[in-house]
Amino acid sequence: MDKKEIMIHLEGISKSFPQKRGSLEVLKNIDVQIEKGEVFGIIGMSGAGKSTLVRCINLLERPTEGRVYLDGTELTCLAEKELREQRHSMGMIFQQFHLLMQRTALENVCFPLEISGVQKDQVKARAKELLELVGLGDRLGAYPSQLSGGQKQRVAIARALATEPKVLLCDEATSALDPNTTAGVLRLLKDINERLGITIVVITHEMSVIREICNRVAIIDGGQIAEIGGVEEIFRAPKTKAGRELVYHEGTNREAIEGPIAHCYRVVFRGGISGEPILGGMMLECNAVANILSGNTRMIDGRVYGQMMIQLSEDKETREKMLAYLKERDVEVEEVYYV
Amino acid sequence: MFKEGLLALVGVAFWESIYMTIISTFIAYIIGLPMGLILVMTDKEGVRPMPIVHQTLGIIINIVRSVPFLILMLTIMPFTKLAVGTTIGPKAAIVGLLVAAAPFIARLVESSLKEVEKGVVEAAQSMGASPLQILIKVLMPEAKPSLLVGSAIAVTTILGYSAMAGFIGGGGLGAVAINYGYHRGQTDIMYIMVVLLVIIVQILQELGMQIAKRTDKRL
Ligand SMILES: Nc1ncnc2c1ncn2[C@@H]1O[C@H](COP(=O)(O)OP(=O)(O)OP(=O)(O)O)[C@@H](O)[C@H]1O
Ligand SMILES: [Mg+2]
Repeated sequence: MDKKEIMIHLEGISKSFPQKRGSLEVLKNIDVQIEKGEVFGIIGMSGAGKSTLVRCINLLERPTEGRVYLDGTELTCLAEKELREQRHSMGMIFQQFHLLMQRTALENVCFPLEISGVQKDQVKARAKELLELVGLGDRLGAYPSQLSGGQKQRVAIARALATEPKVLLCDEATSALDPNTTAGVLRLLKDINERLGITIVVITHEMSVIREICNRVAIIDGGQIAEIGGVEEIFRAPKTKAGRELVYHEGTNREAIEGPIAHCYRVVFRGGISGEPILGGMMLECNAVANILSGNTRMIDGRVYGQMMIQLSEDKETREKMLAYLKERDVEVEEVYYV
Repeated sequence: MFKEGLLALVGVAFWESIYMTIISTFIAYIIGLPMGLILVMTDKEGVRPMPIVHQTLGIIINIVRSVPFLILMLTIMPFTKLAVGTTIGPKAAIVGLLVAAAPFIARLVESSLKEVEKGVVEAAQSMGASPLQILIKVLMPEAKPSLLVGSAIAVTTILGYSAMAGFIGGGGLGAVAINYGYHRGQTDIMYIMVVLLVIIVQILQELGMQIAKRTDKRL
């Protein structure tokens, strides 16, 4: 196997913000290597330090300690002017889009080209091309206020791609969008990653976003990396508490079910809906019902996975019989103590 | 007879006021706009933080702004004399107007540019924009509608100042109101001047707001 090339290397990144008294340590000694051409996810609860971490990559936020490398070049030691040069090869998009409100879609995409000194006669043509790439070829003259959220994010993506960056940083890029629009934007990002080979870093608090487009993911909790690995691996068997919280509670309303609940299990089976006959078979075989608390089906890396939270019989013997039935059929089962 | 004389008098005074206001506003912007831009750029949260420059400029502006216009005009008389060679008449009045209006404009400009969302500036920084590029291509164009509203406020305020400058022989509507209405007791003339001033302010203000609204692309 050939060694993967590293695009972004964060080395021992710590960041604290000075407070009235003392300081607030937001990131603690973070080491991450992001490979060339991958879609890397960073997920965590609100306030975990995700935004701070991604802003440390392009040095919108200066880490208190540690180094940042982009494609082998150390950014943390560069002078302002050289750093600005490097930033032309890092695009960034935001939850709130941050478009220039007094410029049209086309002019917004022209902006990074203007400031990076691209020749005037080429700017417009290139900007138009990019808007066509993101599917907005017919809205060149529209102002941001005339566009929907999804369209605005597409303009922002086109703008971020204008200077042909090596890296695209996305800070909660779909958090302000509805599910359909989110799916569209994520598809576009995946497409960009595959067609242009741009390395993408996705920050989110939604596991669904990670599953949709990421190859690898880092779970950040309290300013530290709790877990890092392939998306499939972490989805199937999260090792840390932070990981379990994110994976189990995805899409469920926590307040609706009051924990802790006894005899509750999380089952994961390959092949989505095919899990339901297995459960049915189990109930018939053991002559007892299982209470299905929640369930969903997901595509991960092109494979279908079903996940269910079920509550099994009070009776210990029946319960064990049920579990044995599931394990025989290559279903992952794990007892959970809070739902 | 009386009517004809009055009409001529009002006509001259009217144009004097307009002239004085426009010239002063124009020059005051040449001084005040850069001051405002420097305030924004050098702010602690700004694109190029420079605390000492920011604070010094801020203090100077506050001092000038805290002196009432009429008293300011009197206190800067030595400076006025130095600048235009006289302490009375329209020229002297314009010096006073500039000194008073420039810091005011600086604050107007500052508050307009501060309305620009921080995220937009950050987005520009993330693309590698320099502080100067951010100022010229982001802050000023994004703040344009607000800057225009500010300029309507500035021009009407300066018109008011110019009327007060009538006291030192500045000419214009204010001078007529003071000379005829106050010194000679012809209060009817004074009221006519006041009504005229009110009308001019209304027109300028409305005009400024309309232009600002037209240029704003945020709907
Ligand atoms: N400029 C700042 N000054 C002081 N504290 C800050 C600053 N920026 C962030 N913080 C603090 O750092 C912590 C992490 O913030 P951050 O924005 O990185 O979280 P996040 O994971 O992106 O959360 P969210 O999902 O809500 O966006 C928070 O406690 C926040 O209050
Ligand atoms: Mg955030």
